[in-house]
Amino acid sequence: MFKKILFATSATEASDHAARVAFNMALNYKAHISIFHVMGVPTRGFSQVVLDVKTREEVVFDDEYVAWVEEEVKTYYAKQLETAENFDIKVAIGFPHREILREARQSRPDLIVLGGSTGAPEESVYKRGMVGSTLQRVAKAAPCPVLVVNRPAASFWGGMSNIVFGTDFSKASDAAFEFACKFAKALGCEMHIFHALDISTMHMGRMLTQDEIETRIRESLRRIRGKYISKIKGEIQDYAFDVWEGVPYVEVVKYAREKHADLIVMAHHNRKTSEEDNRLGSNIEQVIVRAGCPVISVNKQVRN
Amino acid sequence: MPEGTLCNKKPIETEEALKTLLGDTGGKTYYEEMKSLDVDSELLWKTIQNTLKSRMKTWLEICAHCGMCADSCFLYLINDRDPKQVPAYKIQSTLGEIVKRQGKVDNDFMHMAMETAWAKCTCCNRCGMYCPHGIDMGIMFGYLRGLLYQQGFVPWELKIGAGMHRVYRAQMDVTDEDFVETFEWMVEEYEEDYPGLEVPVDMEGADIMYTVNAREVKHYPEDLAEAAILFHLAGESWTVPSSGWEQTSLAMFAGDWAACKMQVESVYAAMERLKPKRMVGTECGHAHRATVIEGPYWAGRSNGKPPAESIHYVEWLAEALREGKLRVDPAKRIKRPVTLQDSCNYIRNHGLKEITREIMSYIVEPGYFMDMAPNREHNYCCGGGGGFNGIGLFRPQRNKALITKRDQILNSGADLVIAPCHNCWDAIRDLEEEYKIGIEWSFLKPLLISMVEIPEHLQIKE
Repeated sequence: MFKKILFATSATEASDHAARVAFNMALNYKAHISIFHVMGVPTRGFSQVVLDVKTREEVVFDDEYVAWVEEEVKTYYAKQLETAENFDIKVAIGFPHREILREARQSRPDLIVLGGSTGAPEESVYKRGMVGSTLQRVAKAAPCPVLVVNRPAASFWGGMSNIVFGTDFSKASDAAFEFACKFAKALGCEMHIFHALDISTMHMGRMLTQDEIETRIRESLRRIRGKYISKIKGEIQDYAFDVWEGVPYVEVVKYAREKHADLIVMAHHNRKTSEEDNRLGSNIEQVIVRAGCPVISVNKQVRN
Repeated sequence: MPEGTLCNKKPIETEEALKTLLGDTGGKTYYEEMKSLDVDSELLWKTIQNTLKSRMKTWLEICAHCGMCADSCFLYLINDRDPKQVPAYKIQSTLGEIVKRQGKVDNDFMHMAMETAWAKCTCCNRCGMYCPHGIDMGIMFGYLRGLLYQQGFVPWELKIGAGMHRVYRAQMDVTDEDFVETFEWMVEEYEEDYPGLEVPVDMEGADIMYTVNAREVKHYPEDLAEAAILFHLAGESWTVPSSGWEQTSLAMFAGDWAACKMQVESVYAAMERLKPKRMVGTECGHAHRATVIEGPYWAGRSNGKPPAESIHYVEWLAEALREGKLRVDPAKRIKRPVTLQDSCNYIRNHGLKEITREIMSYIVEPGYFMDMAPNREHNYCCGGGGGFNGIGLFRPQRNKALITKRDQILNSGADLVIAPCHNCWDAIRDLEEEYKIGIEWSFLKPLLISMVEIPEHLQIKE
């Protein structure tokens, strides 16, 4: 299922939870893990000077410095690397999202594991002069699923056995579903298919009556049966599905918590959003920020 | 010691030499070697005799030392009106002296001249507008840089930059393959959002041939995607050349005249090969100066023009908005105090001041645009022009130079600065990092993307 994992890390505490998941997955699935660290953002036109992400100082980028940073990364993950069988360490300069995507385009990993947020824009070297987070940008354009661990993965003990697949019935969700199925089959997971009926007035423009809500829930359940259940019958033993009403990202997080999920799979819409939506963040971005377990975002058909 | 291993009179010609020089962190050995680099006075004088033409000879002679140029120079003003920062003094004490002494100058003199040429002048050409005789010190400093480069007295980063152009025909180590691949990658990333988006490579007879800055390819290829999206939405017939796509010229900043010629000829060759109706360059000031204004002379073109009509990105954009090829959603216009950075290289030196303001009239809600003072052709350099941004050795001087722009921005009352020039954009980014005045800065393309209407036939079909 996962032969190559690209673990993009700030090599700081912000990435520790992600590191735990990434190294565990590599160990459990005998995958090659590539530890990828963007060490600095280029400053002042066309020169070799970069702003180091850790020290926040201007440094001159040369082979010696790269070797030193590689050693730092190695030391930071010394404990995890004791058990890692198959790994390499890569250091790059540039804007993190772009370099992660560039690396992914070249090495074609099966999964990108992304470290947590490095802090508010004004505090983080990574984000200066950039709109939007590294996460938003990577999730939008990655050529493979992206796993993000933002909060300590409370229920995560090394294996994944209980998946929540959140859907909005879009085309992008089909790709996410395909991936979730493959994952569940390969690892023998329980699968929970979930749709949240969006009743926030902000989206619908008016209040729904309770009858309307319930009618729509029934419709959605029918869609889940037709669209997904028919495809997994006989293939996945343990499955369940449900539709709740509310604010979608809140409901997904609540549902995952109730089901003790250790993974949420959702689609990342390859769609432009209005400025307001950008500020709020899309549902999946909100789920990532809030969920107590790793979240995998899928934006296109997964390669076989 | 006459010639150093790293610091010498030979230009960088190979990838290997480039890597060796790059490996000398911060140019430490390079500058050490420079201290004992010999001056070839004979070569210097011979070069002057061959290249110092009547215009500059006259300028050097007729300067009345009136001092009118002093207040025009932002470096003079920001450095406490130091008499040594008066443009006339700066050029007379360097180029003037070399000519007077017929090239017989020593190593110390060349060090002083190097600092003057790269850390006391950004070639913004503002002084030329205020001189009663029209003497343009910026142009003479450009010339002086050439003499210094020939003698090996050039800042480390610019020796590398010029070498990049010689090896890659680009200001960074970006090959033609990298360029095409990156452009295609960007289109792949955005084609779902913009159905039908594509990058036509090497298409002959297109209306537009687009050229870029290698930095875009190397560090922020979103800029390439944004260019493609805007051409796509405007319904343009456009193409990029698979070679000859680099519009910039660090060789110009370095004074490497031969490399300037090589670089610009690669772009002209692309024009001749693809025969576009027009060439449009990216949002870069010096690239326009190098390829459109000065380049034809470097390449020895008798009509003083590139092979195809060549315009700056702002000219294309203003036209597209004027003619309705691109339509701005009025609700999405900028509604916050915003100002505009006039790039010396295409505003003062190529008269496009009203074009950029026309763009502002389309994209900014009336009442929100705040001009800097002074502005248009009188505007000050961003503080990092002419290569100043990139030179580590002169970083403290550069940071001081940014104060002029910082205060101009603060006085305008704007918190967003539109900077349709790579160099200005970098300088403004750096000034925010250095002085933290709480501003944002942007090229035009991302702003346009956020506000243009998508024609119905190009919208995403459900």
